Amino acid sequence: MSAMSEIPLPQAAKRVVPWWLLRHETMLAAILLVALIVLGALNNRFLTLDNLLNQGRLTTEVGLIALPMTFIIITGGIDLSVGSIVGLCAILLGYSWKNLGFPLPLAIGFSLLVGAAAGFFNGIVITRVKVPPLIMTIATLALYRGLAEGISQARSVRGYPEWFYFIGQENLFGGPAQLWLFLIAIVVSAIVLDRTIFGRTLYAIGNNETAARFSSLPVDRVKLIIYTLSGLMAGLSACVLVSRVTTTRSDMGIGYELDVIAAVVLGGTSIFGGVGTIWGTVIGLAMIQLLKNGLALTGVKGDATIVVIGAVLILSTLVASSLQRRRDGV
Amino acid sequence: MKLGLAAAFLSATLLAGTASAADKRWDGADDLPVNPLACSAGEANAAPAARPYDGGRPTNAADKTGKPITLVDVPKLIGIGYFNATTKGMQDAAKALGNVTVKTDGPTEAKIDEQIKFIDNYITSGVDGILFAANDPVAIAPVLKKALSKGIHVVGYDANSTPDAREWFVNQAEFNGIAKAMMDSMAKEAGEDKSFAIVTSTFTTPNQARWIAEMWAYAQKCHPKLKWLETVEAQEDNNLSFNQATTLINKHGDKLAGLFGMTSVATPASAEAVTKAKLCGKVAVVGLATPNAMKPYVNADCVKSVVLWNPVDLGYAAIYVMRAVVDGKLKPGATSVEAGKLGQLNVVNGSEVLLGSPFIFTKQNIKDFDF
Repeated sequence: MSAMSEIPLPQAAKRVVPWWLLRHETMLAAILLVALIVLGALNNRFLTLDNLLNQGRLTTEVGLIALPMTFIIITGGIDLSVGSIVGLCAILLGYSWKNLGFPLPLAIGFSLLVGAAAGFFNGIVITRVKVPPLIMTIATLALYRGLAEGISQARSVRGYPEWFYFIGQENLFGGPAQLWLFLIAIVVSAIVLDRTIFGRTLYAIGNNETAARFSSLPVDRVKLIIYTLSGLMAGLSACVLVSRVTTTRSDMGIGYELDVIAAVVLGGTSIFGGVGTIWGTVIGLAMIQLLKNGLALTGVKGDATIVVIGAVLILSTLVASSLQRRRDGV
Repeated sequence: MKLGLAAAFLSATLLAGTASAADKRWDGADDLPVNPLACSAGEANAAPAARPYDGGRPTNAADKTGKPITLVDVPKLIGIGYFNATTKGMQDAAKALGNVTVKTDGPTEAKIDEQIKFIDNYITSGVDGILFAANDPVAIAPVLKKALSKGIHVVGYDANSTPDAREWFVNQAEFNGIAKAMMDSMAKEAGEDKSFAIVTSTFTTPNQARWIAEMWAYAQKCHPKLKWLETVEAQEDNNLSFNQATTLINKHGDKLAGLFGMTSVATPASAEAVTKAKLCGKVAVVGLATPNAMKPYVNADCVKSVVLWNPVDLGYAAIYVMRAVVDGKLKPGATSVEAGKLGQLNVVNGSEVLLGSPFIFTKQNIKDFDF
């Protein structure tokens, strides 16, 4: 029997190797560990606490949006408008504070509200008018960015009060302030997805939406909630981003949707719906951010880094899907 | 019914967005002060009062006087002709000095948060100095201050940050100088009471925005009868610039007597649009561009003046300034700095090193330049 465990025959593997070892997330974590060791060996400044915490700071904005995106992709949907919502919320935060005279806390609340409303608008058209999420959010990707540019008149807003920079630049309990926010969001999202009826409904919709409807699951309501949540988190991400870079610009968040979706998909969430975890997304995020950082520190140039990231994305998807097939005994 | 409602809402929001964007002439971003120069060249410009040094200082920088140093250059983006030219100038200077190693690295798109990440990573990896061309003057400040606080020297070129976030800035040409050269050329070529439009990169690009703001201020003071039609965005995209220029020509018809190109992409594309519309001589094209791209249009008499500086010299000067800072030769309060083949460069505005006046390429001199 002990000899059997060393021979990776499909049938034997099914019985001998624990199921969790062949999960996408586990494999990805292993790849991440290898990448960490290699990059750490190549550059002695990579595996310092200071650097790693700093990477946490830099990844929070994309990370906050990746959590609800995991929910959406599990249902078989997509939200391409998140980057534009970041831009719109950032502009409204600055505009309502500087031009409309809102007190800053109110302006923050207002921009979060608009983020949620932008997501709600996506959700309502997707569920009521039955516009496919891809089409609808491509449309609002342009619409929300246009609004951001129109409202801002391309004027940057600067000179926020010092306290506002806390979440983006300061430390709390020895770590970047926004990292704690991100950690809380991760834990809450993971519990919601793993331990609640709401979470199970997401998988049910992604596996078979028609069946979910016949099981009288509130499909449309659930979808409406996740798209609204996606908008809200994009708004939150905008606040963190403005606080980190101290300036509001209408081109903020351009291309975020691709970073977010790359992390979610790398983390093992199936673009066809029904499969995915928050942990996978978090590992996907860490993988992309640490690779970028590690390669930059090792002296790989910006354009080459993008090529390496692309290659790693393809490679880990290949490894994962071949393992998946072996596990399923196909 | 529901579809109709959604469509109505969608178009209403779209209209609101575009209406608010189109309701007034766009005159440059930000509410920063403008400083138009005097109208005629003969009239002496009041020499700016010598301002005290307002740059930042690194904390406990290692003494590397005369020793080899490693620098990194993070431009707005990599892979375009303009920053390839500044990179070449930097490599030339590094070779001339012999004790400087410089590497250019940066985002492939002109995005400020990407640029911040690059600088942040180079702070961690450890360099003696950082050169930058900022995508946003204020947003880049915190990460540059972080570099200074870790004892890394910081010098900017091409696009500035807030002064206290870097030690020196190598200014290729002052905004108001460019604005004056552009507006005077336009008034001369199109006519004092004619209408013109502007093709720029994006409204959020700091240099272009500042030039346009200064152009507006200078025009109000010196060419008040010139009519501003509109400013359109064309990214740094050749096709889009051509299309936008063509649209302007079709939209305004005979009213349009001049086009400004604000980027080295928009200017040749505008000249091409005017050529294709067979309007050479009727629509003047004035703009910022590199001489090689403009030679066909200048030689065909379609474009009379091209405004620019030499980006190779700009990169070259930036390295000499950095070396002088590290060696302690360029200290707060200095009035000039030695820059190799460029000779002595003057210090202006407290903590800026001025490359020189903007240069105007014409049919007579453009053949002498190759970049």
